[in-house]
Amino acid sequence: MEFNLNFGWSGSIGEVILGATNTDGGTRKRSYHIGGSSNLPFIDQKEFSESPLIAFEICDNVQYWSPIAKSACGDVINDVKDWAKTAETSYDADLVRLHLTSTRERGLRDVSFVKKVVENVLSATGLPLIIEGSNEPSIDSEVFQQCGEAGQGERLLLGTAEANRYRSIAAAALAYNHSVIAQSPIDINLAKQLNILLREIDVPHDRIVIDPYTGALGYGFEYSYSAMERIRFSGLKGDADLTMPMICSPIDTLNIKEVREADIQNQNTIAVMWEFYTGIAAAVAGAEIICIRHPKTVELLKKAFVALKTKNIYQG
Amino acid sequence: MALKALDIYKLLPKKNCKECGDPTCLTFAMKLAGGKGDIDLCPYLDENAKTVLGATTRPPIRLVKLGVGERSISVGEEFVFYRHEKTFYHQPGIFFSVSDNDTIDQIKKVTTIVRDETLTRVGVDLHFSGLAIRNESGSADPFARVISAIEEIADLPLILISDNPNALNNALVHCGTYRPLIYAADSENYKVLCEISKKHGCPLVVKASGLEKLAQLTKMCTKEGVTDLLIDPHPQTLGDFITASSTIRQLAITRMAPDLGYPVFYDASKTGQQDAAIALGIVKYASVIITDPFSTASTKAALTLRQNIYTDPQKPIQMNPGLYRIGSPNKDAPVLLTVNFSLTFFTLEGYLESTRIPCFMLIVDTEGLSVLTSVAAGKLNETLVRDSIKKFEVENEINHRKLIIPGYAAPLSGRIEEATGWKVLVGPRDAAEIGEFLIQEWKK
Amino acid sequence: MIDVNQAAKLGQEILNKQMSSLSKPFVYEDTAYHMPVSYALTGIVVHDPETAKHAYKLTNSNPIIATESLIAHSIATKGREASPYTGFIADTVIRKLGYSLVDGSILGLALVVGSPKSKDAAAAICRELQEKYMLTFLAGEVISALSNVGVKVGLEYRLIPLGATPKYGVHFVDIIARVAMMFGGVTPGDSHRLLTYATERAKAIVIVFPGLTPEEIASTDAMRVLGFPIFSINGYEGGEWIPVSPENAVRMGMEKKGIRVTVTAIPIPMGCSPAFEGKSIRKEEMYVEFGGGRSPAFELLQMKPQNEVTNGEVIVIGPEIDKMKEGSAQPLGLIIHVAGSMMKKDYEPVLERRIHNFVNYGEGSWHVAQRDLIWVRISKEAVAKGVKVEHIGKLLASKFRMDFPQLLDAVSVTLITDKEQVLIEKQKAETVYGERDARIRGMRDSDVDIYYSCTLCQTFAPNHVCVITPERPALCGAISWLDGKIAYEISPAGANQPIQKGQIINSQNGEFDGVNRFVKKASHGEIERCSLYSIMEFPMTCCGCFECIALMLPEVNGIMIVNREFKGVTPSGMTFSTLAGTIGGGAQTPGFAGISKNYILSDRFLQGEGGIERLVWMPAQLKEELRKRLEKKLLEKGIPNLFDKIADETKAVTIEELTKYLESTKHPALTMKPLV
Repeated sequence: MEFNLNFGWSGSIGEVILGATNTDGGTRKRSYHIGGSSNLPFIDQKEFSESPLIAFEICDNVQYWSPIAKSACGDVINDVKDWAKTAETSYDADLVRLHLTSTRERGLRDVSFVKKVVENVLSATGLPLIIEGSNEPSIDSEVFQQCGEAGQGERLLLGTAEANRYRSIAAAALAYNHSVIAQSPIDINLAKQLNILLREIDVPHDRIVIDPYTGALGYGFEYSYSAMERIRFSGLKGDADLTMPMICSPIDTLNIKEVREADIQNQNTIAVMWEFYTGIAAAVAGAEIICIRHPKTVELLKKAFVALKTKNIYQG
Repeated sequence: MALKALDIYKLLPKKNCKECGDPTCLTFAMKLAGGKGDIDLCPYLDENAKTVLGATTRPPIRLVKLGVGERSISVGEEFVFYRHEKTFYHQPGIFFSVSDNDTIDQIKKVTTIVRDETLTRVGVDLHFSGLAIRNESGSADPFARVISAIEEIADLPLILISDNPNALNNALVHCGTYRPLIYAADSENYKVLCEISKKHGCPLVVKASGLEKLAQLTKMCTKEGVTDLLIDPHPQTLGDFITASSTIRQLAITRMAPDLGYPVFYDASKTGQQDAAIALGIVKYASVIITDPFSTASTKAALTLRQNIYTDPQKPIQMNPGLYRIGSPNKDAPVLLTVNFSLTFFTLEGYLESTRIPCFMLIVDTEGLSVLTSVAAGKLNETLVRDSIKKFEVENEINHRKLIIPGYAAPLSGRIEEATGWKVLVGPRDAAEIGEFLIQEWKK
Repeated sequence: MIDVNQAAKLGQEILNKQMSSLSKPFVYEDTAYHMPVSYALTGIVVHDPETAKHAYKLTNSNPIIATESLIAHSIATKGREASPYTGFIADTVIRKLGYSLVDGSILGLALVVGSPKSKDAAAAICRELQEKYMLTFLAGEVISALSNVGVKVGLEYRLIPLGATPKYGVHFVDIIARVAMMFGGVTPGDSHRLLTYATERAKAIVIVFPGLTPEEIASTDAMRVLGFPIFSINGYEGGEWIPVSPENAVRMGMEKKGIRVTVTAIPIPMGCSPAFEGKSIRKEEMYVEFGGGRSPAFELLQMKPQNEVTNGEVIVIGPEIDKMKEGSAQPLGLIIHVAGSMMKKDYEPVLERRIHNFVNYGEGSWHVAQRDLIWVRISKEAVAKGVKVEHIGKLLASKFRMDFPQLLDAVSVTLITDKEQVLIEKQKAETVYGERDARIRGMRDSDVDIYYSCTLCQTFAPNHVCVITPERPALCGAISWLDGKIAYEISPAGANQPIQKGQIINSQNGEFDGVNRFVKKASHGEIERCSLYSIMEFPMTCCGCFECIALMLPEVNGIMIVNREFKGVTPSGMTFSTLAGTIGGGAQTPGFAGISKNYILSDRFLQGEGGIERLVWMPAQLKEELRKRLEKKLLEKGIPNLFDKIADETKAVTIEELTKYLESTKHPALTMKPLV
């Protein structure tokens, strides 16, 4: 008897391209094709399929950024260009995810600086970028227009579209040829609905990355884990509105009590372990992009993903 | 495919004799269908029915008990590939490994950690499971000495790792009655190890590279009379493990390969990436994980992940109802009411802490339902709020009589005011807006 | 008066001539789309007389294609028009404009061409377009007319001056063609997709003043094929242009294309939010009340043809609040008229139920019950802030539009406080209620081809699919077939989807091939078959929200029901919660089904098992709750004495006691076809 794993999948995950090199009209040093799998994560027999990518998160106003992440990164946090560059050269991240936290300022009206920030980060790193725009509906239109325009030709991944707030991001993606992160609150059906809404305003499926919303480990992570498994399962079963790659963005990880209140000598390691355990579990559940804020986690996850892709005895 | 209750019922004697302990044959059939019944409890089953039911109602993965007493654990008896399909029932045991080359002091230190270290999360105490002792000395005496040293100070499940039958026999003189797990039988030594296992009534790990070989080996061991087995597919890489364990789980639960229907054993300490292997083992079907003793940081993350993944998705984790303090609230501090669904609690708690406004959280018992569902189901109602205010003596803690309720509970505001005599302020629907709300509304 | 058809024909001939006299190569600058309309429609890169003629021929001499090339050709020979005219607009600008369109900050596009007779009328139209978030393009003398009366033009004012003569209006089309290619995924040459995009997505209208040449009429008229309605103000007749008066042009245009300005604020002197929903108004806080048995009152929502409903109109017939004595009970008739192209008569009762929520959203208004049983109060505090009866109407008119923007184009509210009038209208309303009841009561599963699904519970029951039919509400009891239907119409991507029931496989059990197909897909392949009226064979899956569980009791050959509220052990040996734990989670469990209370009263209940005669046990409280309706149903069926034969926990707790009871009452189930 042959003991092989056969789920009878009928679908496969679509590919999304992140970043454009000069052959594609951009200036990135490399680009990625994420997705494309036709089996469960790491069970895939395709040798060439990408490991999950690690997106290092930076921001342009560190006021509310986790103090742990800030001290782990050091002085570079004071200049978003240095930070982006360090993420590439020293932390060895695959992607840089820029949070435009300066747009969170209360009552902000003039957002013309956004374009410059994005251009600066683009010039500082050759990695493909994820840009997280505003949190405030009244400035969305302007902020995303600026992001989109500044990154024209670079195939950015823009975040974050939600069911009641997706038009500006979609418009920026369509106008300037970028992709979007579509976030729904830990619910497969809502994820699907948002993808349909995006499709209805002509955002093609190969420009969508699903963010099922990741609760921090110990704070609802299990819901996110199952949401990811279900989305991946439905995609592989052939539900075309759920065949997009996923991003895991556990933004609260470094702010939870266990990490925030850890004693000082352990705090760094706890922060890294919390990100690391979350990252492994999310990757196994189907996330193609894992967002990270502590530099030390990057290397550990990369090493683990290599080992996960290596098969000596069991080929699946 | 598992039989449905109705199909099972048709095979039962339909006497409603109650001798199985259930009031009706239908109840018994429902239990069997859920994999929670034991056909041997029915005294009137004919042989044919027994064979049919035996093959289909027995849990697809055998339940194996390790250790005895309070800290004993059971692993296996799983039914699903994805936790969302039902739940994962038996969380993996995490065992710290020691060597019989270590000093007795070192070993006692590790033993104490495993015995005492407790992480309390959402009202549950989380522990490591036990110790795995490696017979690295190669001889019997040090092995036995270490084991008796452990037994002196702790009643923990043990794993005896040795390929020396003498060493195992010797050690089992000390601990054989406590159901330690023996590691490991292979195609060479399985007869001897089965003998030892049978003699002491201890569960046994079988190991082989390749699932066909593993299945053959479990078959041979059951022929020898040992059925409390665990299986070690002996992965060389993390990729090997995820592939092997996923395949085992899928073939076992679909009953395609009953000979693989045993809990999976995983030695994470030999992977060079222990944390990655532990995380992977937890999410991907390991039932026993061996690790080198590890740091506080890994401990917390590993135990938390294990708790998360083994939470029943259909039964939300519940907080203990009560009055919780954020910061050091004084008698004028706001009181915020919410439900005891853990996710709601933690989310609100997080946002409240970041506002830095000291306050009280009044957590009422909605049986773990979220605000929206508990309002819809009538679980969150004015009587519950009134009784909770009384029970937790909220009125002794504060001078005012104002209660902030979740935005989705707005339809209840009038009734709560009437039942409690308090003034009700309706808070935002989204916890993220609570800071803004407190600044705008409470300060008024 | 110019006859549009004749002029267009003449214009076509002139354009043919002009096309044949093209002499040199030409381009538009700053674009990657060449002659954009030609490129989008034919895929041909037009850049000289040859290619231009080729494209013209391929499009059956489309005047827009001709004009597009002719303008470019004229630039090549004579140069561009001077400022303030934009002429051809560069791709980079289009990208920004398209962005605003997708983004929703612009609701639609308008082209205004020609020479207006009245400058002020033209100015009014343009201002209205600005206010309604329309991006407006201008061509011809209308531009100077606007400048003369002080209306500023330019991109920043959303009024774009394309050119001095109406022919430049053709740029309007090249802009839309480029937006379609940039944002709509339209590939050059795919004329079908371009037309679909222009018709369905572009939301564009054209307003024409007098003074167009025959060529200009021809190319403007050609825009109709793109789905742009053309409104003419003075001077034109014939053809398919719609003559309008200046004051109606914008409103009609927007209605025609379904462009809606969303309502965000409600202009009333009290707060309006779901947060106030639970606030009751006690007697001592109340200024005035209506209904509640103290005075005649009713509410009624009905649909009317579009032209009979003036959106936002609120009329009060009878005394206003300042004429009402504090603490008194007053008569009230609350009549809402709605219109919308997607609105259906069936939705009326569903929408009418929302009146309750909406009135309660008001900070000082309160509402209970429905139809002619309503009871409404307005608080002293609200009246002190200036709230009047009229404001309840405003609140309702706004909330209905806000919550159902797709469904409702217009909502008007009439509030009657005159007693005589209330009594007259109430009587009419009661007739409507009666008709509605009869219609819903009369609706059979066999009357419709489409059922509705509900997969809301897939969050925790991953493979559960509820199938909702007119005679079989969702198992949670909360969603009827009509609710499912309206939910789908309002949110087509939502959790309620239509199910084509398809061919009958088994009429007794209610098995349909269409339902099976749907269930299989929606359950991710887990559930192959689903019979709607049987609990023994392929019953519907159960999530966990069921009001009741129906299950077989093989010992007595019958079926029992237990509702969620009943905490005791049932004759099955199990409690509700044990049963719920075993059958929930999205599984299909033959012999067991989650059902709603109302389904017990349906003619389809237990049809597969031989009907309600199978029912042997239910908790006393449930029996009491259903008594009246169940007795009536049983009487209709000619088995009135079955009611007492159905046991409850006061008659039988164990299966043995139940068997005895049923035997003693000669329950029909005992002698029916064996269940197992």
